[in-house]
Amino acid sequence: MSRSSDYDLVVIGSGPAGATTARYAAENGLRVLLVDKKQELGAPIQCSGAVSAHALSDVEVMPESEFVLTPIYGFIVYDEAGNPVYLDYRELKPDVYADAPLGYVVDRRRFDRALLSMAEDSGVESWLKTEALGVDRISPDLLEVRLRRLGQEVSVRTRILAGADGVQSQVGKWFGLATHIKLSELASCLQYVVDGVETEGLLEIMTGHAIAPGGYAWIFPKQNKHAEVGLGVIRTMTDDDAHAYLEKLIKDSFLSDRLKDLRVLEIQGGGVPLAAPLKQQYSDNMLLVGDAARHVNPITGGGIHTALRCGAIAGRFIADVIRGGNTPDEQCMSAYQQRWSEELGESMWRLYRRKREIFRQRDIDRRNQMLFETLSHYFSPESEYRKI
Amino acid sequence: MAKHPVMFEIDWNACIKCGACVAVCPLEAGFISAFDTIAVDKPCDVVCLACEKVCPVTAIRHSDA
Repeated sequence: MSRSSDYDLVVIGSGPAGATTARYAAENGLRVLLVDKKQELGAPIQCSGAVSAHALSDVEVMPESEFVLTPIYGFIVYDEAGNPVYLDYRELKPDVYADAPLGYVVDRRRFDRALLSMAEDSGVESWLKTEALGVDRISPDLLEVRLRRLGQEVSVRTRILAGADGVQSQVGKWFGLATHIKLSELASCLQYVVDGVETEGLLEIMTGHAIAPGGYAWIFPKQNKHAEVGLGVIRTMTDDDAHAYLEKLIKDSFLSDRLKDLRVLEIQGGGVPLAAPLKQQYSDNMLLVGDAARHVNPITGGGIHTALRCGAIAGRFIADVIRGGNTPDEQCMSAYQQRWSEELGESMWRLYRRKREIFRQRDIDRRNQMLFETLSHYFSPESEYRKI
Repeated sequence: MAKHPVMFEIDWNACIKCGACVAVCPLEAGFISAFDTIAVDKPCDVVCLACEKVCPVTAIRHSDA
């Protein structure tokens, strides 16, 4: 005697992965509810906001001035001593990139809001300030999701639940998935948004165990001559926290002279999984997308592109399941991960194996060299991973 | 040997609400505060202290529960 479903799909978390999953599902005719516990999407910022141009075009998002802070034309990768490799695509491929940017640094608050807006335009219903409390199974075809919306407890019934609730995902844990991430694979990241630092339209990456053990440091341009200066470290490789390394980068590194007039405008941080994708990203009536499924590039820590692509895959997949009249049991949902593997997953696994090879190297000089070479190659036009 | 349970305390002034402590926590769903940090109102009996380590600004401390 169960009530029929209120929605075909409920998505928990309206970041790039969740909003894109919701948008593609709604575009394909599903009734979709998207909830996020925040009052303002994207905040507090836990991300540098770098995203490639093709990542946006792949999911039909225009690089609107509303959220683009600055265009990016390439990279500088430094070794520990400060020797740079310039990968400026305006010079490497002037026929393509003299005018068209390679990517952008986006304002995550505005970007996430724009993605939500696109989802709403496609028919998605969205509730902010709505926290997911838990889920109960009503039947093989129906879940009841318990929510707290602006202080009021409400339940909604849905056929499928998508967990897009980030690196600290609770949805995966509800379904018993092995979502736990090891300390050795979660980069502890801190960045300052600053002014007083000159940049030239390039993402700058500083490598080396003394600079950022287990990760790397960065200087990314932002609008109005602002920049982001940050780094991520793996705490099993050092006794010092990210804050200590960031202060050291500013005060005592090959960049100190350039950073000496820096003024801090914002302080942001986050945990970035430099891990393998989850071995199982689905369960009965459920799938995970984005950071929750660890769809993060394990070499660069970049997660926007992978979240957007995966959201498109998940949204279309769920629409196929519902419209095909299938019961979304575990067997049925496993085809989601199959599609994801074919499009993205296999490359991410290869990147993970390379990352593990680098950081398992015990000789620090050799490890530094491997990371520098891997990142220099990764960002070069010859990289086989250009689309990840 | 079983470890003594601990209670976590968070320096809310230092905390940047990044969620890394929750991400690395091996406890099952729900060991979480209203501010997206690990829980501060119930004891932890795993005592791996990964949350303290991963915190970019070292805002987490523990004491015996």
